Amino acid sequence: MASDLLSIAASGARAARGALDVTAQNIANASTDGYVRRSVGMEEVSAAGGLLRTGDLSLSGVRIGGIDRNADMFRQAEVRRTTSDLSRASAELNGLENIESAVEQAGLYSAITEFEASLQQLAVDPSDPSLRAAALASAETMAQKFNIADSSTSSAAEGLRFEAGAAVDQANVLGGELARVNLRLTRAGAGSSDRASLLDQRDILLEQLSGIATISTSFAADGGVSVRLGGSTGPLFVTGGAAGAIGMSTAADGTISYDLDGTALSLSGGSLAGAALALGEAASVRARLDALAEGIATTANDAQANGTALDGTAGQPLFDGVGAAGMRVALTSGSGLATAGAGQPAGSRDGSNLAALRQALVVEGPAEQTNALLFDISARVQSRTLTHEALDTIAASARITLEQQAGVDLDTEATNLIRFQQAFQASARAMQISTELFDTLLGLG
Amino acid sequence: MINLSTGAFFTRSTRQIGTLRAEANRLQQQVGSGEKLARSSEDPVAAARLRTLSRQERLATIDQGTSDRATHNLQLTDSSLGSIADVITRAQVLATQAANATLPPAQRAAIGIEVEDLRQALLLIANGRDGAGGALFGGEGAGAAYVESDGVVTYAGSPETAPFELGEGQQVIPGLTGPEVLAFDVDGAPSDLFTVLGQLATALQGDVADPAGAAREALSGLDAGLEKVTTAQTIIGARMGWVELMDNRRLGMGELMAEERDSIGGADLATTITKLQEVMTVLEATQASFVKLSSLSLFSLLR
Repeated sequence: MASDLLSIAASGARAARGALDVTAQNIANASTDGYVRRSVGMEEVSAAGGLLRTGDLSLSGVRIGGIDRNADMFRQAEVRRTTSDLSRASAELNGLENIESAVEQAGLYSAITEFEASLQQLAVDPSDPSLRAAALASAETMAQKFNIADSSTSSAAEGLRFEAGAAVDQANVLGGELARVNLRLTRAGAGSSDRASLLDQRDILLEQLSGIATISTSFAADGGVSVRLGGSTGPLFVTGGAAGAIGMSTAADGTISYDLDGTALSLSGGSLAGAALALGEAASVRARLDALAEGIATTANDAQANGTALDGTAGQPLFDGVGAAGMRVALTSGSGLATAGAGQPAGSRDGSNLAALRQALVVEGPAEQTNALLFDISARVQSRTLTHEALDTIAASARITLEQQAGVDLDTEATNLIRFQQAFQASARAMQISTELFDTLLGLG
Repeated sequence: MINLSTGAFFTRSTRQIGTLRAEANRLQQQVGSGEKLARSSEDPVAAARLRTLSRQERLATIDQGTSDRATHNLQLTDSSLGSIADVITRAQVLATQAANATLPPAQRAAIGIEVEDLRQALLLIANGRDGAGGALFGGEGAGAAYVESDGVVTYAGSPETAPFELGEGQQVIPGLTGPEVLAFDVDGAPSDLFTVLGQLATALQGDVADPAGAAREALSGLDAGLEKVTTAQTIIGARMGWVELMDNRRLGMGELMAEERDSIGGADLATTITKLQEVMTVLEATQASFVKLSSLSLFSLLR
């Protein structure tokens, strides 16, 4: 007879122990990030009957066939895709919100209104020194608000570039790690617990990488992955044990572009794409601020040139400096404001040139332009917020779907504990019976 | 089999509670600040409208200041015009007395001295200052409105008074120039009150052969002067009415703007608190059900 009851029972007890170990491992890792529930695949061990021994029992028990990792490739790919979209939207929204705060909290609009209001007040009595001083002070405040708006926008852009640089570094580290995991996967045995944990690691790395850039993946039979950046036709980033290097370059206007080993990258998702989009917005906001500041400065200086200051001399420029960052008030005293028309004597109460300046400002419409700028930024933030909310829900449900399938359910594990404990007890009982059988045989004599 | 993993349960619960908490926080902020919008991006259209409204309100404050100043100047002008009318009336009385041919020359000379004093008083009134220290009847001129040299009084101000803006493109001229009040034609020839009074004073003090006749001639000049001043008083009265009309209009517009601002950007306390209560009730229910569900573990039943 080719069967041995004791060894069959022992193999059953061993398999049940193994299954209990895996269950305990699942329970222990119930809240570990990226952990995919393991299950034990059992295989019967038996031999086929040979020639002349067709009626024989040749049973040898059970063995653990392998550790299965219950990951659904499709759901994982969905999580990666939605993560890419979400982190692009997050990075862009974050950047846009910073730009919005920078321009809005600088108080540009109220400063421009205040400047116009002070000119309106001056029109009542153009020779009043205190009204002139007030007008000059409000011009100074407005110039400073322009400086602040520009510097806070540029520091928001600086922050975005810093984050993008850090993300590029992280992506390069992740690429290197993925290449290492690929190498180790070629050496890990199929169905081993080592391989399962390497695959877990691979999926975590892929998910992190998808948060930084859009990736397209293809898997080898041994579980190794090759990664393309920016979609299925993009350049290869990781293949086998080799990983490329992502680079970032900054243009003169502060916008950024990426490359992989010198090949230009076009990314549609991930935080890198979001940062590039937000920086594009920052550059356009700064250009509009510059145009606004220069428009006001030119209008005011042109009007000044046509008028007469309080001391009877020709009007000097009110503002100088380049762009919003450099705007400053050039006049040192309120008496330099050329409120009177050309040819008026010193101390004139004539306000015709002031009226011309105010009219020119109405035509130029800096307050309306600022209002439009603020509206554009905030409308963009609002639409991105809506996009972000939608993408957030999509990404969260993709993750929950994956977790439902791949995550650990403690109730199931509790049931498994009982099931395998009973299996262990039953195998032990079988061992006991085989001993008793032996004893019975010995007792015959 | 649907495998509801423990991790998925906790992730979903965290999300639900987090969303509700964020909503409650937002409502609480609205109650605290009384403003519906914490930043423009929450409602860009409303935020742009609020900015425009605040700008209009700010400019309306300036307009109100200008209007107050115009009223003040108009009142000053009005009271000065009253004084000028008094001067002319007194001069008319004196001229009528002097026109009596039976009056002894000494008395007529005394009347002449009084007329000279009246002329000086008129000069003082005409050189009065407005609230900002400028010449009340001097238009936009920097110095005094009238200058006297060698007994001749000449107008030194500008030909026009600059108008004040009252908002909405409306203007008011907050005063009158000297010639608009004091210059007039006598028998087709341009003259002014200073000339009439000056000639009368010197004539009564014996400069001409027929002082009584000169006094009679002066009467017609004084009549024309009084008429001019009365007309000026009517103009000033009409302008004060106009300023007041604009004030009322501005007040009405201000109320409308405040109302609009409140309806666009203000958080209605009753609605907000009710919403907050609703969110808090849902939040508490979610938390309670989370606690109940999370304690439902098979492990606690295994002995």
